[in-house]
Amino acid sequence: MTSEISLKDLKELNSRYNIFTSMTAEESVDAEFVFSAKDNLTSKDFETRAGSRILEGYTPGFDATPIRRMRDAGGFLAGKTNMDEFGFGTFSANSAYGIPRNPFDTNRSCGGSSGGAACAAAVLENHVALGVSTGGSISCPASFCGVFGITPTYGRVSRYGLIDYGNSLDKVGILSAKAADLTKYLPIISGKDHRDPTSCVQPDMRRSLRRIRSVAVPKEAIDGISEDVMKSFESALELLRSMSIDVEYVGMPSLKYSIPAYYVIATSEASTNLARYCGMRYGQQEGDLTLKFDDYFSSIRSKYFGDEAKRRILLGTFTRMVGYADRYYNKALQVRQVIIAEYKGIFKTHDAVLTPTMPFVSPRFDDISKMSALQSYKADFLTVPPNISGTPHLSVPCGYSEGMPVGMQFITDHWNEDLLLSMATEWENAFDIRHPEVKL
Amino acid sequence: MFCSCPTTGADAPNTHVCPTCLGMPGSRPSLNGKALELGLTIAKMLKCEIPKTTWFSRKTYFYPDLCKHFQITQYDTPIGEKGVYHLGKKPIRITRVHLEEDPGKIKRVGDGSSLVDYNRSGVPLVEIVTEPDISSPAEARQFLSELLTEIRYTIDLPEDGERSVRCDCNISVGTERCEVKNVTGLKNVERCLTFEAVRQTKLLKAGRTIERETRHFDEERKVTMPARKKEYEADYGYIGEPDLGIFHIARIAENIKLRESPLNMASRFQSEYGLDERTAKQIVTTSMKLAELFEELIKVSDVQTAKTWITGGISAYWKGFEPSAEEKKKDLISIISDFHTERITDTECNIRIRSLMTGEGQKEMTDSTADLDRLIDAFIDENPSVVADYRKNDRAANRIIGSVMKQTGGRYSSADIVDATRRLMDARSQRSDA
Amino acid sequence: MDREIVERVAHIAHLDLTEEELERYSKDLSEILEYFQMLDIAPESEEFGFDPVEVADVLRDDIPDMEIPADALLSQMKTYNDFVRGPRIS
Repeated sequence: MTSEISLKDLKELNSRYNIFTSMTAEESVDAEFVFSAKDNLTSKDFETRAGSRILEGYTPGFDATPIRRMRDAGGFLAGKTNMDEFGFGTFSANSAYGIPRNPFDTNRSCGGSSGGAACAAAVLENHVALGVSTGGSISCPASFCGVFGITPTYGRVSRYGLIDYGNSLDKVGILSAKAADLTKYLPIISGKDHRDPTSCVQPDMRRSLRRIRSVAVPKEAIDGISEDVMKSFESALELLRSMSIDVEYVGMPSLKYSIPAYYVIATSEASTNLARYCGMRYGQQEGDLTLKFDDYFSSIRSKYFGDEAKRRILLGTFTRMVGYADRYYNKALQVRQVIIAEYKGIFKTHDAVLTPTMPFVSPRFDDISKMSALQSYKADFLTVPPNISGTPHLSVPCGYSEGMPVGMQFITDHWNEDLLLSMATEWENAFDIRHPEVKL
Repeated sequence: MFCSCPTTGADAPNTHVCPTCLGMPGSRPSLNGKALELGLTIAKMLKCEIPKTTWFSRKTYFYPDLCKHFQITQYDTPIGEKGVYHLGKKPIRITRVHLEEDPGKIKRVGDGSSLVDYNRSGVPLVEIVTEPDISSPAEARQFLSELLTEIRYTIDLPEDGERSVRCDCNISVGTERCEVKNVTGLKNVERCLTFEAVRQTKLLKAGRTIERETRHFDEERKVTMPARKKEYEADYGYIGEPDLGIFHIARIAENIKLRESPLNMASRFQSEYGLDERTAKQIVTTSMKLAELFEELIKVSDVQTAKTWITGGISAYWKGFEPSAEEKKKDLISIISDFHTERITDTECNIRIRSLMTGEGQKEMTDSTADLDRLIDAFIDENPSVVADYRKNDRAANRIIGSVMKQTGGRYSSADIVDATRRLMDARSQRSDA
Repeated sequence: MDREIVERVAHIAHLDLTEEELERYSKDLSEILEYFQMLDIAPESEEFGFDPVEVADVLRDDIPDMEIPADALLSQMKTYNDFVRGPRIS
């Protein structure tokens, strides 16, 4: 059922928060609903640049399957949301097109890499945002912006049209201020797509939603988190117990290997995925074609890739080089299987694993600029484990510290998104969710 | 291989392209099941060991004809290994057989830049690697020729000339080998190997050593040239291709039924029916349907009869007849059967076969065939010794053929004369035996 | 992760690094790889796969089909007489 939807506030909100890298000029539309998509999902009518200068001018001839399905369901794509270049980052600070600002405190980050998506979900009324997670890029911004974020099982949503970061890690998911949106839109974007073979092995999503009755909290997950996050998390556990949900502490010793295993696999894959950006066929193409091809490619890549992109390309090229691949790439693949097995063991006796989403509330931009690469990688230690194991996970707001949202993350076994969807609704009813003050 | 673009019939550059074979950001590969099946058929034909599972890998290198700057190929799990191909009696060991995608085609432009046609990008390739069991350039060419004939038959490929074959040729006359990359077509393979053999031999004779290197073949000048020293070290950094997953191929391979290859059939004809090698190969290379018909004719007559008619009139008119062979085959078979049971004469048989296969009316043919037969009979009567000579060596028939051709001055086609002569000589020499 | 290796890796990855970048990335990568050393003592697994869920035997039918007209895709490229223009190859 379509209705007249106003978009007149979009421009002002965007200039305040840097939500979009491209957006519609329409002031109102007649549609069933309005949505946004992270700018690494190809869209026919907006430039798709994945937060990178090297893709400036790329106007794809095809819509990504998730976008097409949302459009077919009556959705209007209002714009493409800001992100870290190619998904490389935890704070959306590595975008070439403007850094999204946290609606709870504009001196702080929205999280990343789907920072714009989380901000849109938090700030725009009746808005559902498509995001993408590789190592936590839906959970982290959802947590920092105080909204719901669901990352489905790897292979649940077709990646056709998704500009690759890590092919065995990327997942398209949903961010929204309302739990009902997750239940409504996840089935729309999910399902087999012959254009993406990895989407063709999924069992059907369960129609009836089962409840989470027991959660396991790994001791490793509450080690090294800030005091305020710990406080919010423990209150949340109390609330869960009052909802007749069993909470038990468990040990998951393989979790400590998830950061190195993740970054090795992700950067190895990314370094091959980014090899194609070379000043030919799309994006930046203005180089001097009389240069020898090696020099031509190097000059374009060096000029238009951002700092973090270069760092990850170097890292990922190294970890799969002859002489090093066994120790890094091949070992990391094995470690992933160990982590998956450990999760499966827990899921035999518990419906979900539960951890805080991030070890701290959203940091200030000037603190972020002081972080080393390794420090920011380590900040992902809570979101990386479900991401490397491809298990579906949900971040919900579970507390507030000095006005900043704190999130917690439910993780279930492969294909059990229904448990997460019912949890989102249950939690929304039980917990007092705050919304940022957005004065126009 | 990984997209649905047609692989033939492009009428202009860059017309059979799509996001996947152009490597557009956001595109994704998907494996063509038929390509996998055909690759496995070839691996099975070459008697390779086929692993239980296989997958694909990314080979990363930078070149304008390779859209993604990685090629999806197979590195550590080729679909076949440790096979063998028999060139006559000589076994040529097959190291591996694997599948991969082709890059586009690139050419230089005057101003120093390049132009690329991506139609070929993404076309399926099967790569076959042999052990160094081939002993001469001529043998290499023969190997390729026979191998390709068999492959084309086994997987039902249309005749495509040699354009669809590219070879990396490795040759060593001394202690070190050189590789000549991307040689197109069998003639060029033989030429480049011959040139290399000579070049390497000269070097050794001059007391120099041969260094392992990569070379290219210049088709126009027919020489091999050293490849540009690679300034950039290629470290392909192979990783698995996560977008495609794994494939349990043992099951698929088991269910593949191989057609008998032409050369297998030819050697079977020699051993089972006592055909000489030349005749046997002639039959199978004319057409496998003809070869199948030969065996069907044997069933209703005998080897000698089937051989006479197959190598005679039936072969002569086969090209035009082949399209309707399936439906008209049984008529042919009953004609031969009638001849064998002596219901019709050899002349009548010849007329009916020719009429069936060419569509010519029987009456006209009857008259003209009868005339020709009379001429030939007349010659034989005048030269009775020719029959005895023919029994010793069938080239004796040439005397008759030459004479009749001179006599009839083009009225009959030489094929008809040859055919009639053979037929009548065979009949006579059989009767003489009786 | 010494400078020489970083130079070689940058070479392979077709990145021209400034002196400053070379210094900085060498330092970053050394730090990161030192942390990654814990993979050496991580447990191994008998299981094998490139994906976290099993993706097996997904095949496509051999039917030619082009969803998007080729000229739409080529419209954004640098072309000359239907060919795509590229840099010098020799």
